[in-house]
Amino acid sequence: MKILLTKRLFRSLWRSKLRLVAVVLIIMVGVMSGIAFGHYAHMTTNMYSDIYEDSEEGVNLADVWVENPRGVWESSESDTLCEEISLKWSDADLPMVECEPRLILDGLLFDTEEDGSQRLVPAVWHGIDEGYVDRVWMPEDSCCNGRLAVESNEIVLDAHAVDGLGVELGDTISIGAGQGKMNFIIVGFGYHPMHLYFAAPGSIVPAESGKFATGYLTSEGLESLANVSSGTSNMLLIDILGSPDYDLQSTDDNEGEELAGIIDSMLITVTDIDASTIVYDRSGVESVEFLRADAEGAMKTYPVITGMLVIVAGITIFLSLQRLIQSQAREIAILRTLGIPRSAIMPSYILAPAVIGLYGTILGILGGIFLGAPAMESVYETVIGIPAIGGSTVNSSILEISAITMLLVMFSGIRPAWQAANLDPLKVLRGQHEVKLSSKTMQKFTSRLPTTIGLTIRSSTRKPIRLAFTFFAVGLSMLILGSMLFMMDSMEDLFLGNAGENSNWDQQAIVFPGMEDAITEWADENALDYELLLTMPASPDGDSRQLVAMGLDVFSTSGNEAMQTLNLVEGSLPSEGTDPPEALVDEGIQHFLGWGVGEVQTIRFGSQAVDFKIVGITEGEIARTVYLHRADLAVEVDLEATSVLLSYPDGFGQTTDLGDMSIGIIDKQETIDAMESLMETQQAFFIAIQFLGVVIAIVVLFNTLIINLAERDLELATLRVLGAPIKRIGSMMLGEHFAIGLIGGVLGAIFSILGTQWMISQLVQWSFYFKVNADPLISSYLVGIVLFISVALTPLGMWRVYRMDLVEKVKDFST
Amino acid sequence: MGENLVEIDGMKRYYEMVSGTVKALDGVDLEVKGGERIILLGPSGSGKTTLLNCIAALDSPTAGTYSFEGKEVPRNAPEEMTTFRRENIGYVFQFFNLLQDLTVLENLLLIQELAGGRDEKRARELLALVGLEDEVDRFPTEISGGQQQRVAIARSLAKKPKLLLGDELTGNLDTKTSSMVMEVLVKACEAEGITTVFVTHDESLIKFATRVIRLDSGIVISDQDA
Repeated sequence: MKILLTKRLFRSLWRSKLRLVAVVLIIMVGVMSGIAFGHYAHMTTNMYSDIYEDSEEGVNLADVWVENPRGVWESSESDTLCEEISLKWSDADLPMVECEPRLILDGLLFDTEEDGSQRLVPAVWHGIDEGYVDRVWMPEDSCCNGRLAVESNEIVLDAHAVDGLGVELGDTISIGAGQGKMNFIIVGFGYHPMHLYFAAPGSIVPAESGKFATGYLTSEGLESLANVSSGTSNMLLIDILGSPDYDLQSTDDNEGEELAGIIDSMLITVTDIDASTIVYDRSGVESVEFLRADAEGAMKTYPVITGMLVIVAGITIFLSLQRLIQSQAREIAILRTLGIPRSAIMPSYILAPAVIGLYGTILGILGGIFLGAPAMESVYETVIGIPAIGGSTVNSSILEISAITMLLVMFSGIRPAWQAANLDPLKVLRGQHEVKLSSKTMQKFTSRLPTTIGLTIRSSTRKPIRLAFTFFAVGLSMLILGSMLFMMDSMEDLFLGNAGENSNWDQQAIVFPGMEDAITEWADENALDYELLLTMPASPDGDSRQLVAMGLDVFSTSGNEAMQTLNLVEGSLPSEGTDPPEALVDEGIQHFLGWGVGEVQTIRFGSQAVDFKIVGITEGEIARTVYLHRADLAVEVDLEATSVLLSYPDGFGQTTDLGDMSIGIIDKQETIDAMESLMETQQAFFIAIQFLGVVIAIVVLFNTLIINLAERDLELATLRVLGAPIKRIGSMMLGEHFAIGLIGGVLGAIFSILGTQWMISQLVQWSFYFKVNADPLISSYLVGIVLFISVALTPLGMWRVYRMDLVEKVKDFST
Repeated sequence: MGENLVEIDGMKRYYEMVSGTVKALDGVDLEVKGGERIILLGPSGSGKTTLLNCIAALDSPTAGTYSFEGKEVPRNAPEEMTTFRRENIGYVFQFFNLLQDLTVLENLLLIQELAGGRDEKRARELLALVGLEDEVDRFPTEISGGQQQRVAIARSLAKKPKLLLGDELTGNLDTKTSSMVMEVLVKACEAEGITTVFVTHDESLIKFATRVIRLDSGIVISDQDA
C-alpha cells in the first residue's frame, strides 16, 4: 500500500516537471558549487602546506623574518645579529635551526620593446646565498624549468613574469637596483614563497604578466648589482625546528603563543643592536597571508554557498509539497476515512524530497568533480598564476556537502509530511480546509480600496508564511547576485579609487633612504611636480601585527593640492609640528584596535615607541595605515623619504633616467590596468554567478506565483464564467506581481547588503580590511531584477487563466 | 412573452474520448423567449449541463447554430465568448462560488468593476431584493448556505444580464431553503425582467418555471409549458 501511495505521489510530482527539474538543478548547482569551492579551499590549503614544507619539493618557508626597513646590514652586523639571536633563544622546545641573512631589494627590469625602446618594469631581486630557507620553488610542471643561479651573472626569473616578458632560458636581461644596470642570463624559471601571490610591493592586485618581475640571483650577483659589499643583507630568515603555529590574523585567539614569545624575546635582542629592526612571523608576509586568507575564505564560504542554494531548493520543495498536499487533500481525506493510518501517509512525503535531493546531489557530485573543480583550478591558475598541483577533490568535503544537502532537503519535507498525515478528513470533505482568508487587519485596511485592488492585496497576503519563505528564498538568490555586484563594485572603488581618483601622481619612484635628492633634482630640471613620501613599517604598541606609517607632505581630501588625496570619514586633517604629532588612522585600525579620534596612541618602529594623537579616520585603505606629516615622521625615524611621487605633464616623454636613479617604480596606469585586467579575467566567473542568482530568483518566484494562481483557480474561473475579461484579470495579476516583486526586491536588496556585509566581516582581517558600499544603483538594480522577473511572469499567469477549461472548472465546482 | 432571445438549431456537442465519441448533445433545437423561466430536467448524462454551458458560451458546440438576440454567439474564441457572457449572461453555481475574501457587498461590486462600472447603489438594492440588506458587510463564511446562494443570485444580477443561467443552484440546499431561494430568484428576475434557464434534478422546482424541457441522451424529449 505504501508503495502505491508513494507511486501516486511521484506521479503527481511528475505533473509539474518543470518545477521538479528546476529544483533538482538548484540542488545540483548547490552541490556542484560546494564541491568546486571546497576543492579550491582544500587544494590551496594542502598545496601551500606542501610548498612551504622543508622537503625536497618544498621551499622551507621561514618561521620568523627579521627585517631592516631603513637600510642594510654589513656582513659582520648580520653575523652578530644571528649569533645574539641564537645565544638568547628563549624557547628550548622550539630550537632555531637556521638564521640566514638575505638581501632583498626593490629594483627594475629594463625590458626592450620590439621598437628598441626600453620599458621599466618594477621588480624585486633576491640575493640567495646558502638557500636553506625560503628557497625557489621549481615544481615539475610546464611552468618551470632550468636550474638555480650559481654564477654571479645568472638569474632565475619568476615564472609569473615569463609570458609577459617573452623571455626564454638563456636570454640575457638587463636589470637594476638603483645603481645603474647589469645584464644577467636567465638560467631558470620558478616561484618564490614571498611572491606566490604576485603583486607589486604596495599593491594587492596581482600584477599583469610582464608588468612586474621578481628574480632570484646569487648573493654575489645582487651585491654587485646594488654595489654593496659582500655579505650585505637586509633580512634574516629564521627557521625553527618543525613548523610552529603562528597567530592567525583572522581569529581572536592567539594560535601561536609560543612563537609570539620567541618573537618578543628576539625583538628585544635585535633592537638592542639595531633599534629600527622589525620582527614578524608568516602573518607579516603579504603573499603568505593573502593566500592563506584566500584559502581560509574559500574554506569558510563553501558550506555557506551550498547551504544557501540548498535552502532555496528546500523552500521550493517545501512550498511545492504544501501545494501538492492541498490539491490532494480530498484524496488523503478519503484514504484516512477508509482507515489508512497516518504512518502510511507520511513516508511518501518524506521520501519525495529525499529522492529529489538524491538526484540533485548525484548530479552535483558529478558536476563538481568533472566541471566545477577543474574550472576552479583554471580560475586559480589564471588569477594567481601558479600551477594547481597535487589537488585532488577531497572525499570528506564531498561527503560533508552531500550530507548537508540531503539533510536540508529532507528537512523541507518534514512539515508537509506532518501536515498531510494530520489532515482532518471531516474538515477536508466539508471543504473547510480550503477556506483561508486574509487577516482582519488586511481586510480592514483594504476595505476602502476599489474591490479589484482590495481582492488583489487580500489574496496576495492570504498565505503570509509562504510569502515570507518566498521573500527569504528570493533574498538568498539576490544575496548570491548582490554579493558579487556589491563586492565587485566596492573592490573596484577601493582599488581604482586609490590608484585612480585619489592619486594625482603618475609614477612613484622608490629610492634608497637618502637618495631622493637625485630624483627631485631631475624633476626640477624637467619642471615636474613632485612630492616626497616616507613610508615605514611599524606595529601597534604591544601588538606584533604590521602597519604602514606613511608620511605625506600635503594632506588633502580632494582636488589636485596633494599627490595622494585621502577619504576622510571622521575628524579633521592633521596639523604639522604638534606634540604629540597629529595623525590619521584608517578604518581598519579603528575596527581592529578600537582606536578613535582624540586618542593618543603608540606605534613602534622596532624598539622605538612613537606617540601620536589621532585627529581623523580615513577609508579606502586595504593595508592598515597611519598617516603623519612627513616632517613629523622624519624626525621619529631619522629618514627623509623612501619614495618620490611624480606627476607628468601631457606628452612628457619618459626616459630610463628615472630607472637609473631609483630602486623601483610604481606606475599608476599599470596598477589601474592590472585591476581592470583582473576584473576582466574574472568577468566570466562573475557573470556565471550573477546568472545563477537570477535563475534561482526566477525559479523561486515562478514557483510561488504559479502556486498562488493555482490556489486561486476557483476564484479566477468563477470570475471568468461571470464574464471577467482577461485584461482585467491580467491587471489584477500585474498589480499583485508588481507588489510582490517590489517588496521581494526591496527585501532582497536589504538581504543582499546585510548578507554581503556579514560575509565580508567574516573574511576581513588585519592585512585585508574591506568594507562593502551599499551602492544605491546596485540596490535599485537588484530591486529592478526581482520586480522585472515578477512582472514578467504575469503573461504566463494570464496565459494559464486564458487557456483554463471553464467547462471542466464548472464541473469541478459541482463536485 | 417577448421576442426570441435564444435560437438554437441542430446543436451538437461531441467529445472525443479514448473509449470513443460521446454525443453529449445530438441535435438540439431550442428557442427561448424573453421573460421565460425554463427548467431543464433530465437524468445524469442527458446533456442538460452541456446545453447550459453552450448557452452560456462556456463551451462551443460541435455543430448547429446558436444565436442570441438574433446575433450568432461566438464559439472557440475564449475572449469573445467571455465578452458575450459579460454582456448577456448571469450564472449561478451550485456551490455559490462566492469569493471568500470579499464581503457580501464586495462580491457584487467586484463583478461590476470587472464589467466596467461600479454601482454601489444598485448592488445594495439587489441585496435588499434578495433580503440581505443587513448582511452587506459580512463575509460569506459568516452567513448560511441559503444566504450565500441569495448573494450569488444578487451577484449574477449585478451587471444586469439578459439571461440568467443556473446549474443545480439549489442542489446544495435543503428543501425549505431551496424554495426560499427560488422564490427570491423568481421575484428578483421578474423585477429585473430577466429570462432564466436552470438545470436541476429536483422536480419540485417545476412550480417556479414557466416552461419545462426534458432531455435524454443529448436530445430534447419533451418541451412543455409548466
